[in-house]
Amino acid sequence: MNGRLETATVPAGMTLLEFLRGRLCLVGTKEGCGIGECGACTVLLDGKPVTACLVLAVEADGGAVDTIEGEARDGELSALQKAFIEAGAIQCGFCTPGMIMSARGLLRRIPNPTDDEIVEAMAGNLCRCTGYEAILEAVRVAAQAKAVPHAGQMVAGQSAGGSGSQGGRLSSPRVPGEGGGRG
Amino acid sequence: MLGRFDYERPTNLAEAVRLFAETPSAAILAGGTDLLVELRSGRHAPRLLVDVKRVDGLRRLDVGPRGDLTIGAAVSLNELLEHAATRWSFPGLAQAAASIATYQLRNRATVTGNLCNASPAADLAPALLVLGAAVGVAGPRGARVIPVAEFFAGVKRTTLRRGEIATEVRIPAPEPELRSAFLKQQRLRGHDLAVANVAGALAPSTGTLRLAFGSCAPTPILLAPIETKGMSAVAVGAAAAAATLAAASPISDVRASAEYRRAVLPVLVRRVVAELLGGGAT
Amino acid sequence: MAELRVVGQPVPREDAVDKVTGAARYTTDLALPGTLRAAILTSPHASARIVRIDTSAALAVPGVRAVLTGADLDIRLGLYLRDKRILARDVVRYQGEAVAAVAADTLDAAREACHLLRVEYQELPAVFDPRDARKPEAPLVHPDLATYDHMRGVFFPKAGTNIAHHQKVRKGDSAAALAASDVCLEVSFDNPPVQHVPMETHAAIAHALPGGRVEVWTSSQSPYTVRHLLALAFGMPHAAIRVHVPHVGGGFGGKAGLGLEPLAYVLSRACGGRPVEIAMTREEEFNTTPSRQGLYSTIRLGATRDGRLTALEAEYVWDAGAYADYGVNVGRAAAYSGAGPYALDHCSIDSYVVYTNKVYGTAYRGFGHLEVLWGVERAMDRMARALGLDPVEFRRRNLLREGATTITGEPFTNGHGKPIECLEAAAEAIGWGRRPSAPSAPHKVRGKGVAMLHKAPAMPTYTSCAAIVKLDEDGAADVLVSGVDYGQGTYTVLRQVAAEELGLPIDKVHITWECDTAMTPYDWQTVASRFAYMGGNAVIEACADCLCQLRAVAAGALGVPADGLVCRDGKVFPRQDPARGIAYKDLALGYTFPNGNSIGGPVIGHGRYIATGLTNLDPETGQGRPAQFWTYGAHAVEIEVDTETGEIEVLRIATALDAGKVLNPLLCRGQVVGGIVQGLGSAVLEGFRFDDKGRLLNPNFVDYKIPTAKDLPREIVPILLENPQPGGPYGARGVAEHPMISVPSAIGNALRDALGIEFESLPLSSERVLEKILVARAPRPDTP
Ligand SMILES: Cc1cc2nc3c(=O)[nH]c(=O)nc-3n(C[C@H](O)[C@H](O)[C@H](O)COP(=O)(O)OP(=O)(O)OC[C@H]3O[C@@H](n4cnc5c(N)ncnc54)[C@H](O)[C@@H]3O)c2cc1C
Ligand code: FES
Ligand code: FES
Repeated sequence: MNGRLETATVPAGMTLLEFLRGRLCLVGTKEGCGIGECGACTVLLDGKPVTACLVLAVEADGGAVDTIEGEARDGELSALQKAFIEAGAIQCGFCTPGMIMSARGLLRRIPNPTDDEIVEAMAGNLCRCTGYEAILEAVRVAAQAKAVPHAGQMVAGQSAGGSGSQGGRLSSPRVPGEGGGRG
Repeated sequence: MLGRFDYERPTNLAEAVRLFAETPSAAILAGGTDLLVELRSGRHAPRLLVDVKRVDGLRRLDVGPRGDLTIGAAVSLNELLEHAATRWSFPGLAQAAASIATYQLRNRATVTGNLCNASPAADLAPALLVLGAAVGVAGPRGARVIPVAEFFAGVKRTTLRRGEIATEVRIPAPEPELRSAFLKQQRLRGHDLAVANVAGALAPSTGTLRLAFGSCAPTPILLAPIETKGMSAVAVGAAAAAATLAAASPISDVRASAEYRRAVLPVLVRRVVAELLGGGAT
Repeated sequence: MAELRVVGQPVPREDAVDKVTGAARYTTDLALPGTLRAAILTSPHASARIVRIDTSAALAVPGVRAVLTGADLDIRLGLYLRDKRILARDVVRYQGEAVAAVAADTLDAAREACHLLRVEYQELPAVFDPRDARKPEAPLVHPDLATYDHMRGVFFPKAGTNIAHHQKVRKGDSAAALAASDVCLEVSFDNPPVQHVPMETHAAIAHALPGGRVEVWTSSQSPYTVRHLLALAFGMPHAAIRVHVPHVGGGFGGKAGLGLEPLAYVLSRACGGRPVEIAMTREEEFNTTPSRQGLYSTIRLGATRDGRLTALEAEYVWDAGAYADYGVNVGRAAAYSGAGPYALDHCSIDSYVVYTNKVYGTAYRGFGHLEVLWGVERAMDRMARALGLDPVEFRRRNLLREGATTITGEPFTNGHGKPIECLEAAAEAIGWGRRPSAPSAPHKVRGKGVAMLHKAPAMPTYTSCAAIVKLDEDGAADVLVSGVDYGQGTYTVLRQVAAEELGLPIDKVHITWECDTAMTPYDWQTVASRFAYMGGNAVIEACADCLCQLRAVAAGALGVPADGLVCRDGKVFPRQDPARGIAYKDLALGYTFPNGNSIGGPVIGHGRYIATGLTNLDPETGQGRPAQFWTYGAHAVEIEVDTETGEIEVLRIATALDAGKVLNPLLCRGQVVGGIVQGLGSAVLEGFRFDDKGRLLNPNFVDYKIPTAKDLPREIVPILLENPQPGGPYGARGVAEHPMISVPSAIGNALRDALGIEFESLPLSSERVLEKILVARAPRPDTP
């Protein structure tokens, strides 16, 4: 469990989500539907994103589970977390833990994903607030930050914002997924 | 909690079959993406879940000497999709698998589970039907093989007998240069069950076209083979569309009306045919 | 205005760190020791008498602490119209209505007990279509409507009918103007009920305390309104109720007013004061908690041959569902906005909020405007076509401009913003006037469409709010407000405002992230895109108060007059002598002279804002001043339609809003993109489906779909204009709801352009589109 061994006896009918939230008090993982449709409960099981509401806790026996609580290391936010913040990929934040775990799973598998791969990996996570654009951008930025270490400042703030106003109007910023992102 | 039941995770097939056959009201747990939803709804309350994901041999995903493919019952959709030989030899199957659910779910959902669940909308069913696939089965009275074409008995019903476990899906060696394709109509681009789905496979050497469709009848349906030699893609498309409509008996549900299904089914068929024969619409 | 340092910058959210680490706590993440869990039993019938409920088997389930039914609770609740009970009593009025609730040690025990409740129902006649519900012979959903308490002078429930409110707007003589028009048309439209779908479902925890007090934690947009309505419902003093709002996982209007709090409270009381948590499952969120009302509209337009609108008449029939507490205000607001942002001398609107036996409606982002403008903006396109005019040109000729008055008689000034500029900017961004580019396949066609939008906050005339700003020992500032930031970004904006006003860097301004009616100052409720405006003004005043206190203490410390002191960069200094500054940190708690003498004290500023100049609307004519400010905008879209399957793909959508001032472009863009995608859901996907017994057929994410990351328009172009709003903080207006409004209208207009077919019903699902294409293509028997 986030790199630590946890030992517990659980009823067979308990989901991994219930176990995380109820037993381990890892409440960063959210429930949005309970039937695999929304992705709010996404965690990594043996390195792969899964919806914890559709996994029994007993099925994780002997496996490795990563949750949002393990994403920052030694108090330092991961590049992914930073990119989410700077890209404006967060509004109410309820989908965010699941989004980040899906993105984490993707970047472990494919360190420099294409736009299509990003969309495919993230489309199982519903977000009602952001309209997704900034989330996809955050993943893209985090992948670039990884691919080119010490590339300097996050660029998300400017790419998602379009900071200045000119002549009473904001220039329209770059839109992600030109030609890409169609799943 | 999804209910009160026991959980077993056998590691050999005989043990799995014994547990499953001996316990009244036991259920096989593969990826759980259908089963756990059923349990949560309370529609289904088994006393024992037999998890087959650790059973020896069920993780196999291998290509035989002649190109036949065996997909063990513990193989997930993503594992199938990451399998280069599958994508290369059976693109229609890969398209069908990729159209199912979400990335997270495909890490859990199994190929066999999609068939065993026997939903009329199961996306792999048409794709496997046109490939002439069969399901390998182990049961208290031994092993047998059920062609996918004989596997579905009705909505959510299979021809598996009491105590039988599907151990694998077998796809025969493809005919030379076999082409296959799959198309699915859904309400949005994001994850959705099929309003209608259509798979096709064409053996260029013989000109034989196999078509199957789903979500438009109580079970997925395989059409009689269509001979395409000497026919234009448009003519084949028209004939295939007519044959499909004749075999379809769609119902209206929340996803779509029967009329809409009847309207898009021939469109999908024509597009699949065009893709396989080249030229034509899409 | 002086150069702004912080306001206008793309400052990221302060709470984002908690949200990306999983540390942010939402209601169901809180755990008080000993908290019980609750579950509800809902009605399978749309209309039935509850004959009896047998609770004995439920009570026998181990771990069950209390079972409550409506019979135990003779209380009516509501904000505008008190028509709802905590649990159905005597009758159920919609499928999904809660009839009983159980609190138990575990959720499983509570659920099991619910399964064991035996309810005997006697089915009653039901009515599902609000147009039928208006007929005299229709069964009455609320036979006792006459006795219900409501906000008098504002809402007018019609006793003996299903009409919860009838809002009229009358300007000029629309009948005569229509008769004299060169061109008239009449069109009808409809919208289904739609759900908000916040990713966090409704949840509340209540802890009944000794002495008739209660503490509540809730996923709500309205801490003070929750407190007030609980106080009214239970006859408690306000101080006996403490409402906390932790992080909220989306609201969109659905968490305004009262939600699960009263139920959690009565359960906690029944359990001898154990805290009780209740949270909706996703299915309950659909079946039981409120949605957006459906609408049937009929619109008549008149125009002169040269393209001037002469009159608009509209009848709006709202499908309120079983309760109309909030729905009445939607029906009211959508009436005074019900003609779109057009200059009209003659207008007549009747908006009826009608009870039916379906899940009830409430506020939803856009507050009726998306629904009303679906009709109005489609009708405007039809009129333009009837006149042979370009839809943009036709609108340009008729939009509100300086000198015109709104339909409620409010003079329109440039301070309102510039709808025409919005229209032109959006149209230009999609290359309006140029033919659509070639479709990507032979069976596809493309089209373009525009639509206008407008909206003002719909709130009582006396709506107010307050802010407190206090300085910390280190000279940083804390802002306390009770508006809820459930994602829209207001808190970040308020921090920027405070940083700007106080002369502090943004990282030295914090906002307290939990509303608590015992700690954070009053705010009416966080709805109607009003909080950046009202809260912003209150924070400006609170900061001025702080600065005044800082200057007074610094004046004493420096021995100079206070009015010669400047506050900047975290220091107070004489204007002439910046080097002699004192840091805020040395003033924040009071100033201490070298000899130990001290003056001043902790610096705490407070500020307030109350809506100004608003009037109730005249009951007969609707004339009056309902709006603190208006926000105008326009969408322009280009779409591609698959003529064989009916699928619509949005190739490009440009959305221009006159924001007055963009306080934070990063967050503003987030609101625009998020709103567009939500609007896209309403446009092409979403809508409740009921069977003929009034049962909801799509109460889960398998059957009710919302857009995913795969469903985005190919290109989104937000355009934010900055024509300042007098009275707005830095000239800003609210923009949170607006991007969603009229997205369906623009797509509907583009669809007409692409196919030559008129669409009147939402959503524009593939199925509906294809059906019309097939009808249009079918050979007509009557053509020669
Ligand atoms: C959000 C979501 C989206 C989905 N989208 C799609 C979609 O787009 N298309 C689609 O086709 N399906 C979809 N599904 C359904 C499901 O994911 C697939 O059918 C999946 O392939 C089932 O596999 P599984 O391993 O999870 O099956 P399980 O849930 O483990 O089992 C399904 C059924 O088959 C039985 N079973 C499983 N394995 C065996 C075996 N080896 N022998 C005998 N019986 C067995 C089980 O007892 C159970 O009754 C979706 C499900 C969800 C939750
Ligand atoms: S809660 Fe698991 S997918 Fe929605
Ligand atoms: S940020 Fe609210 S659901 Fe994604």
